[in-house]
Amino acid sequence: MLKKAIRTHEFIIFLILVALSLVVGIINPAFFSVSTLFDTLRASIVYFIMSFGVLPLMIAGGVDISFVAIAAMTSYTTHMFLLKLGYEGGTLLYFFIAGAMGLLAGLLMGFLVTRFNLPVFNVSLALYTMWYGFNLFFIGATANFDLPQGTVGYYARFLVTAKDPYVGQTGLHVSIIYAVVVGVFVWWLLKYTIIGRGLFAIGGNKEVAIRSGFNVNFIWMVAFALMGVLSAIAGVTQGFLSRYFNPVLFITQPLDVLAGIILGGASITGGRGTVIGTALGVLLIQIINRALILTGIPVQWQKLVVGIILVVFTSIPAIRAQRARRLRRTTEAA
Amino acid sequence: MTQGTNDKPAAPIRRKPLAGAFGKIRIGSETVQLLVLAVILFMFFSIIVEKFLTVRSITSMGFQMPELGVLTLAMMLSIYTGGINLSVNATSNLAAVLAGFFMVRYIPKDAAGAVVTLYLAVAFLIAIAVGWVCGVINGLLIGYVGVPPILATLATMTLYTGISVGLTGGATVTGFPTQLSVIGAQTILGIPIPFLIFVGFTILTYILLDRTSFGFKMRLLGSNPVAAEFSGINNRAIIMGAYMYGGILSAVTGILIMGRTMSAAYEYGATTYVLLTILICVLANVNPGMGRVIDVFIAVVILQILSTGFQMALSGVRGSTFFKDFAWGVLLVLVFIANYFIRGRRAQSS
Amino acid sequence: MAEDLLRAEHISKRFGGVVALDDVSLTIRAGEICCLVGENGSGKSTMIKIISGVYTPDEGDIYINGHHYKRLTPIEAIHEGIQVIYQDFSLFPNLTVAENIAINELLASGKQVVDWKEVEQIAREGLARINASLPLDAVVETLPAADRQLIAIIKALLANARIIIMDEPTTALTQREIQALFNVIRELKQRGLAILFVSHKLNEVMEIADRTVIFRNGKKVLDQGAAGLDIPTMAYYMTGRRLDTSAVTFEKIDETAPPLLRVEGLTLHGGFYDVSFELKAHEVLGVTGLLGSGRTELALSLFGALPADAGRIFIEGKEVVIRSITDAVAHGIGYVPEDRIREGLFLDQPIADNITVTLIERFLRRLGLLDLRTKSAEAERWIRHLEVKTPSGELPVKTLSGGNQQRVVLAKWIARSPKVLILNGPTVGVDVGSKVEIHELIRQLAHQGMGILLISDDIPELMQTCHRILLMRAGRIAREFRREEITEQALNAELVAAATVESR
Repeated sequence: MLKKAIRTHEFIIFLILVALSLVVGIINPAFFSVSTLFDTLRASIVYFIMSFGVLPLMIAGGVDISFVAIAAMTSYTTHMFLLKLGYEGGTLLYFFIAGAMGLLAGLLMGFLVTRFNLPVFNVSLALYTMWYGFNLFFIGATANFDLPQGTVGYYARFLVTAKDPYVGQTGLHVSIIYAVVVGVFVWWLLKYTIIGRGLFAIGGNKEVAIRSGFNVNFIWMVAFALMGVLSAIAGVTQGFLSRYFNPVLFITQPLDVLAGIILGGASITGGRGTVIGTALGVLLIQIINRALILTGIPVQWQKLVVGIILVVFTSIPAIRAQRARRLRRTTEAA
Repeated sequence: MTQGTNDKPAAPIRRKPLAGAFGKIRIGSETVQLLVLAVILFMFFSIIVEKFLTVRSITSMGFQMPELGVLTLAMMLSIYTGGINLSVNATSNLAAVLAGFFMVRYIPKDAAGAVVTLYLAVAFLIAIAVGWVCGVINGLLIGYVGVPPILATLATMTLYTGISVGLTGGATVTGFPTQLSVIGAQTILGIPIPFLIFVGFTILTYILLDRTSFGFKMRLLGSNPVAAEFSGINNRAIIMGAYMYGGILSAVTGILIMGRTMSAAYEYGATTYVLLTILICVLANVNPGMGRVIDVFIAVVILQILSTGFQMALSGVRGSTFFKDFAWGVLLVLVFIANYFIRGRRAQSS
Repeated sequence: MAEDLLRAEHISKRFGGVVALDDVSLTIRAGEICCLVGENGSGKSTMIKIISGVYTPDEGDIYINGHHYKRLTPIEAIHEGIQVIYQDFSLFPNLTVAENIAINELLASGKQVVDWKEVEQIAREGLARINASLPLDAVVETLPAADRQLIAIIKALLANARIIIMDEPTTALTQREIQALFNVIRELKQRGLAILFVSHKLNEVMEIADRTVIFRNGKKVLDQGAAGLDIPTMAYYMTGRRLDTSAVTFEKIDETAPPLLRVEGLTLHGGFYDVSFELKAHEVLGVTGLLGSGRTELALSLFGALPADAGRIFIEGKEVVIRSITDAVAHGIGYVPEDRIREGLFLDQPIADNITVTLIERFLRRLGLLDLRTKSAEAERWIRHLEVKTPSGELPVKTLSGGNQQRVVLAKWIARSPKVLILNGPTVGVDVGSKVEIHELIRQLAHQGMGILLISDDIPELMQTCHRILLMRAGRIAREFRREEITEQALNAELVAAATVESR
């Protein structure tokens, strides 16, 4: 029954997405264009990757905010390091070095959490400050625009291109492939591996997971490692897409990213969440942002509208839950 | 215990707490730990940084810490009652923006000193009223609608910031009467006024938490909301009260920020301020139904010592202001680990 | 057929200075349902933990399938086919039925990739073993307790259990579900499994046991075939006392006095219907019935936690509206909940604050400040009065034993001197000594003029404290008994009769 409910949740988000798109499209027909589709996806890519990295942790019941700091630290450090070496090659080495750093950062966090039995959120708070501080003090405090020769054209490398009636030539960036690959991998991990099922088990009932023989600490470590690596990939991708590397990349955004995942149906207390739902949650936030621009709401009032939408979106399930609770209390007796 | 040692900063944390008993003394031992940490850090910087132990640098710390300090008290209340309040900083900025608008638009340019003071008082009242309303909205969503605090305040954080952005169009509000700077830049008997305000609200919050029935109920509600309801506590009203007072404290922070910077902006502090307040609460061991105002106060002082200390120690080094962020994170991790061992030892001895 | 699967011989276990088990032996045989009976604190759960390898006994030997163990580990116990089904069923609430059933097998296989066809197949096989049908893709938290218990049993069977230990398995079940569970248990027995059924509900033991073992204060006081054992005998061995209601003096009630509490046609849809009764000062009114009869819902309605949909409530002749707990408390109603940990106590908070929570407004002084000295003095007074055993009122309440915790919950309400006190299962999980004292306290409170509504399915308890007893069945008051009119056996028979009516 609940499985159906979760399905419904994703379905509802999907419906909201469609409804929102229709409304915006009616107000401004420019919304229905290949260019809007491609741009929305392009803007979503890094959030897809980061969210897919945080989702497994959240399913196991760990709320992390340090992932944005890891993205910033790994991408910026890698860039400044390669810049110093005079590297002029392609993007691959970036992903490789940053990914390795992300792996280490994730493992460090996993070690702190499992070895000293600490709450994930508290540790992530400390590491969030630490990594940004590390970036700003040890590496550099200003954004850097000098890209290696081999990566300069990357921002405009498209998977497919199309003619758009409004903006002319438009394309879907190749890095969408990373997001898809990562999404499929995380989906597979969650659904088809013992590690993935262990994440759900830990989030559902940690004590029973230990008693049942899940290697809880190992599973935690995998989740942290995955979070570290994917954050790094997202950080580097963002650097190339925006054509500069920023030491305070995403610094104000950890809560927004978590909000997207939660909108997508994941539970902040663990045990629940899907890749599809997360992807829809990310898209919903991006579409809202785009819709606000296209519907002609003045820029300065857009954040307020997002705020109102958020208040409504968070209140509806709460009201529904309250009703359900009262109903259950009385039907338990029957 | 406070005389401490002046070398090996890690030692005092691991040192056995004063008393082996439980209860009050054990809670007190956390205060002692924090105090020792503060003293050690203070001595450490006094030795390695030449001008750290001067009236000037200590006064400047007194000017800097109150904003974050008062805001942390607001955060503390929400955690204490079993929630969290991500909208504290958005509330202070909204309060500052609205009070700032009032001052810029309505204070006559040629007003006499006394009249301006009166207008300032009205502006402060506006700020506090705005903070109160923000708190009421949080309280309604959390207490009455039943939205989980983290989601409710995430939403209102965006909402309140959205109002500030909309009203200011993203610009900074400036042009306040110079009398306002009394709040942010003057001293009484050498003590910075904002620091006195911080101390005042710390005492007020302490009294509220430890000496009133409201605080008593907040603590029990945080400890077990179901049992609180079954004991006849009106949970909704208490939650509402906690967030209302939190809103007022946030507004006071907004006033302090205006006084120091002589401006108001939607983006002041941004997300980092919110996270810093949570971080201080974590350091001060604030948990649902648990935590002491005095510990929060000391934790704020520790943050400031660290921040000023490193800034002065590294002055001239590129990006020196950022080292404190790094150090803060490292310190927090070390405190967690130290607590882990202290807890382990306690569990063994009991 | 009586093959001994497990023999625990001369087991002793101490915790600090407390002797939990004292030279106790227990034999479990194939194809036999053995009921282990005893009050809380009698050593039942210690014994379970010893034969499942969780605790190591201080003295004694364990023989399982002919293997001798001085110290048994949990893994060894599982390998020997011992499976314990705890009250929480040890399931993952967020996973499906199929996955919960198959998870242990998956983990044991050592495979890292999950084959969902295999999961489904394992689950089907498991369900087939007890001829149960459950929706495989249903999420466990949406299922009723009875279904969750079936899953736990299937998991035990799939782990090749030869001995299944069930710890208070009927606690969360309705009567109909209990009967279904008994059928499953009987079938397991037919297949030669050994069942250790741990309970303190004597009517269930009567129904299911082949052999009954009774523990009291860490000693085995009875071990014999079920034939010829009746409830009073079992109760005697359990408590060590002949239950003698004539020895108890009951408060005289002024029959002509106006009622303290009067309820007319109270209805809560899905809970109870058209409930009317009166409660006089000095009176203890019992409300009994099976789980699901509406007894707890009635209590929660009167206390405002589940406001009634229809009907009227009068206190001292005046009609009152109770829409919330705050209303109920304001009208002088107190409630001691059944689930002490969740609804009654603030485990991390000081004992003193747990007591004074209902009276905190009384300590307000100038400027709205609390008089902390008077507050702790008042708490101390109640700690002494109710003999809560603790070195200090400042210790967190979680340091207390079950009986002392219950005294704290009682103190919190008595301190307010409510007009009407509702007690829901006041001695559940309380040791024998405290139980007697709590009964005495209830009579004392009645003596002082309080009206007490005692909700319980503990028949001796009702007989020892109540003037009248209301029997609820399917949400309605089915019968009313005066204590003088009925014996314990007759009341028990009525309760069982109610069950059979309901399960039809």
